[in-house]
Amino acid sequence: MGRVAEEDERAFTELVRRFQGRVINLVSRVLNDREVSDDLAQEVFVRVYVHRRNYRRGSKFSTWLFTIAANLAKNEIRRRVRRRNWFSLDALQEMVNDSAIQLADPKEGQDVELQRAQLKQAVGRAIAAVPEKYRVALVLRDLEGFAYEEIGEMLKIPGGTVRSRINRARGILKRKMQPLLRKEGL
Amino acid sequence: MSCKRARNLFATYWDDEVTQAEREWLESHFGACSACRAEYDALARTIELVGSLPREESPADFVERTVARARRAAVEPDHVPGASHRWVPITAAAALLAVLGGSAIQWAGLSTAPEQRPTPVAIQQPTWVGPAPGTTVSRSSTGQPQIAGATNTVPDSIFDHGEDVEFILDPVTLRKGRAHTTIRGADAPRGQQATITF
Repeated sequence: MGRVAEEDERAFTELVRRFQGRVINLVSRVLNDREVSDDLAQEVFVRVYVHRRNYRRGSKFSTWLFTIAANLAKNEIRRRVRRRNWFSLDALQEMVNDSAIQLADPKEGQDVELQRAQLKQAVGRAIAAVPEKYRVALVLRDLEGFAYEEIGEMLKIPGGTVRSRINRARGILKRKMQPLLRKEGL
Repeated sequence: MSCKRARNLFATYWDDEVTQAEREWLESHFGACSACRAEYDALARTIELVGSLPREESPADFVERTVARARRAAVEPDHVPGASHRWVPITAAAALLAVLGGSAIQWAGLSTAPEQRPTPVAIQQPTWVGPAPGTTVSRSSTGQPQIAGATNTVPDSIFDHGEDVEFILDPVTLRKGRAHTTIRGADAPRGQQATITF
């Protein structure tokens, strides 16, 4: 990142190449919207580039990068919530999706891959149904594997709050995924 | 109580942050409590399912498009919404001018205007309308008080508030910090003119 701050464009290209997957993954899982997440992930790197001189040397680059990513994802969720207040059709769609967090009964000869894809979709929808405040912390922890302290730094909240948000998110998620878990005999 | 304690330890147990004593206690509790065991298994499976979600694939040209977009944004920093702060100094200067202007006008007004002392308000003593001293007051069958030898009805209160009410009902004109009442027509309810200084 030090080289990026010194106007080294090749270093910036390398940085995008190295972190693109994780940033797209974070944004995509928080929003549960693959199409928008590419654009938003690009915006994350654009901000890194534009504000490269603000980066404090010695601090962890991934923390800074994911702080920007988490903030943009949160802004996007809030923008959508505001829009949804006007166009309640989206809310209706989300309710339909919520109630559909279960797998179709496997038919004879049904492809295992299809079942797996359904499972992923259902888990993705369940994550998207967790309130934003808890969802971002959950994705950073259980998908991206960040330490609680790092998440606290990214979201600018104390470590205890991070833990309670993640626990709350996991509890909500467990309830949302109850139909899936029941199928597994849990 | 022990189930509550067990559930409070689930998250730290999953994160492998429990002490050895807590681990042993929780595992022995799982052996005795199938409900807590099932609850923990469901939580653990939920976290596993989230963690097992595959990583999203990046589009093939993501790097090139991103670098090009960043280059454009660096040339035109206003492209990035959060990077535009050019209105901040203008707005701050305008607000400062407004505050200074307001203060100057107020100061000028205070220094030139003659000091106005409020006119004292004459407070009228309340009129005693109750029975004269020594008069006997009895209660009628309806409970209304009756004064011996008097035909007038006795008001609810020993003070007559009629004039006060009349003043309140009259239109009040505010002029230079004073309130005046005006009496309209001959048959309008009459009361004493009053002036209140604020």
